[in-house]
Amino acid sequence: MRRLAPHAIAVGGVIGITAAIGLITSRAPVQGLSALYLLLVLWLAARWGRWPAVVGSIGAFVLYDFYFVPPVGTFSVRGTAELLELVVLLAVALVTSQLASSLRRTRATAEALARESRALYELATEALRSSEVTVALSMLCGRATELRCVDRFALVAVEYGLPSPLAGSELSAAELKQAGWSHENGRSVGIAVRGGAVTLMRTHPGATETAYLPLASGVAVMGMDADLAGPDELRMLAALIGLADLLLDRRRVAFESERARGLESSDRLKTAILSSLSHEFKSPIASLRTGLTALAAPQAGLKPDQRELLVDLDRQATRLDRMVGDLLALSRLEAGLELEREAQSFADLVAGATRGLRTELAANKLAVELPDDLPLVQVDEVQAGRVLANLLENAHEWAPPNGVIEVGAAPRGGVLEAWVENEGPPIAIGDLDRVFDTFWTRRARGSGLGLAICKRVVEAHGGTIRAENRRRGPRFTFTFPLAPVPSVPDS
Amino acid sequence: MQRALRTGLSYHDFDVHAVGSGEEAVREAAAWRPDVILLDLGLPGMDGFATLKALRPATRGAVIVVSVMPDEKDKVRALDAGADDYVVKPFGTEELVARIRAVLRRQADVTAGEPIIRSGDLAIDIGRRSVTVDGKLVRLTPTEYELLRFLALHAGKPVTHTTLLRQVWGDYAIGDTYNTRYVVAQIRKKLGDDPANPRYIVNEPGVGYRLEG
Repeated sequence: MRRLAPHAIAVGGVIGITAAIGLITSRAPVQGLSALYLLLVLWLAARWGRWPAVVGSIGAFVLYDFYFVPPVGTFSVRGTAELLELVVLLAVALVTSQLASSLRRTRATAEALARESRALYELATEALRSSEVTVALSMLCGRATELRCVDRFALVAVEYGLPSPLAGSELSAAELKQAGWSHENGRSVGIAVRGGAVTLMRTHPGATETAYLPLASGVAVMGMDADLAGPDELRMLAALIGLADLLLDRRRVAFESERARGLESSDRLKTAILSSLSHEFKSPIASLRTGLTALAAPQAGLKPDQRELLVDLDRQATRLDRMVGDLLALSRLEAGLELEREAQSFADLVAGATRGLRTELAANKLAVELPDDLPLVQVDEVQAGRVLANLLENAHEWAPPNGVIEVGAAPRGGVLEAWVENEGPPIAIGDLDRVFDTFWTRRARGSGLGLAICKRVVEAHGGTIRAENRRRGPRFTFTFPLAPVPSVPDS
Repeated sequence: MQRALRTGLSYHDFDVHAVGSGEEAVREAAAWRPDVILLDLGLPGMDGFATLKALRPATRGAVIVVSVMPDEKDKVRALDAGADDYVVKPFGTEELVARIRAVLRRQADVTAGEPIIRSGDLAIDIGRRSVTVDGKLVRLTPTEYELLRFLALHAGKPVTHTTLLRQVWGDYAIGDTYNTRYVVAQIRKKLGDDPANPRYIVNEPGVGYRLEG
């Protein structure tokens, strides 16, 4: 009915104009009134398109010919002039309608695009605003199924290679498996997206087919009817898929930051366990040492040989304390806790280590040879200090009484190369690498932890450590990274 | 531990008064007016740091924090919260006695208001802004002098990197220990100090620097 209305209007309009012309010419002879028809045809073409305009122009020609072209009252077409008139009318109708309809089509497309982008914009803001990405994804799936060519739309997340339905229509186990395959191999099925344009491929004509499209962090599964897919629909679908891709990625990022928080809290847990452990171990040793040293004081009034015994016991307690410290340090390294790197002076590290070992090192000659202008190193002070302390303690264990322990350092190729050397017996060639193994030791009394910790700390700083036999005795050489020099050095 | 400490300290002629909790310590400190308080951070009940904060208005006595935690952050936190020194368990009685004596000596110096601070043969004259080693004048840049002066004003006490950076450079420099390390190295060079075995400015691992009192 709606399609007939413009034609009826065309016919009505032509009759109306004929009546008007008849009325005017009966009063006064006015020439060229047939142009009124032209106006009508123009309007019809612009407003309704080609066919009403054609109907109008033919109607106009017929009526004009019948009523106003002599002999009036007949449909006779005489002479080329009248034929020409008809042709002109028809041509005007066709050309104008063509122009107008292309204009209308452009406008309709523009409006559709505006509508689409508005819908997308609303969906996107709504989706991005909702705190739960899954809610946003469900909204998106709902919007997609509103498209005529899409009869189902579902999003599948793939984590650790396992596909799991995330939002949208229900999927069968086989479909889920297919989605997993599609993601794993990066292959789409039944659909192709290239440069933001969607193309549908079909294998069975006339049937709804399931298409799979792998996205950055998931898969879109769609039940598609390619016959119903117009260009507007496909454009909208492409936009929705783009948005889904974005949202899935956002979900993955949120998921990963959640996991990072979990790891961080597990780091805190490890630290808490380690410090509680060290408390448990160290408190009794602390009581032991306080008591032993209190009794060893001359004021306590014990006999010299009794005091000597207490001093020896205190030395054992100190050793035990250091071993517990080594074990805890090792577990800290095993737990992979972060290093706190800062600019440090290597001389300060040496000073700290020698101060902690001053009782032991009193039995040796310590020779520290450091250049005046040694650059700062970028290390975790406590851990790096432990490397030096352990190497010095090891040197003390092996150096003969009054033997020289040499500590040196020099910048070399962008790192600081440092060494600790003693005058003890050489290390067997086959053991040069093994000395750094955990629990491996050359002595019955050693714990096999000291050098293992050195290796781990040095390597955690990106450095290397090696043992070699020099002319005087074994030397341990290791590297630390240099501290970056600030752009504005202090005056 | 408490009994062993009490015994050990009494041999060195200290008058020891022991309490079992932070609340008790704050109460007793106000009534008993000790010269030095040994505060174990691992207290039952009231947390060690909270006790430290509560102790400060209650007493003028020096506070030495005792901790079994190997964590340097706790030391820094304790010093920032007003502790005068710290000792890490386990320690020998002599070591503890030496620390207590040093803290007491410093307290006496502060009360005397000595304008010239000495560390071995190093002398820092705060009034005249001059630094001498063995009577010979040492020329320092303003930054170097400021850092040395601040350490001298707290001689014997560990001063944290953060405090030094704030006092000498300003808040913007906090966290950049390159500054302190570099300037201390320069000062040592000018004072003729051996950085690997320093006589004057001693490095406190993970904490900061201390001028030997």
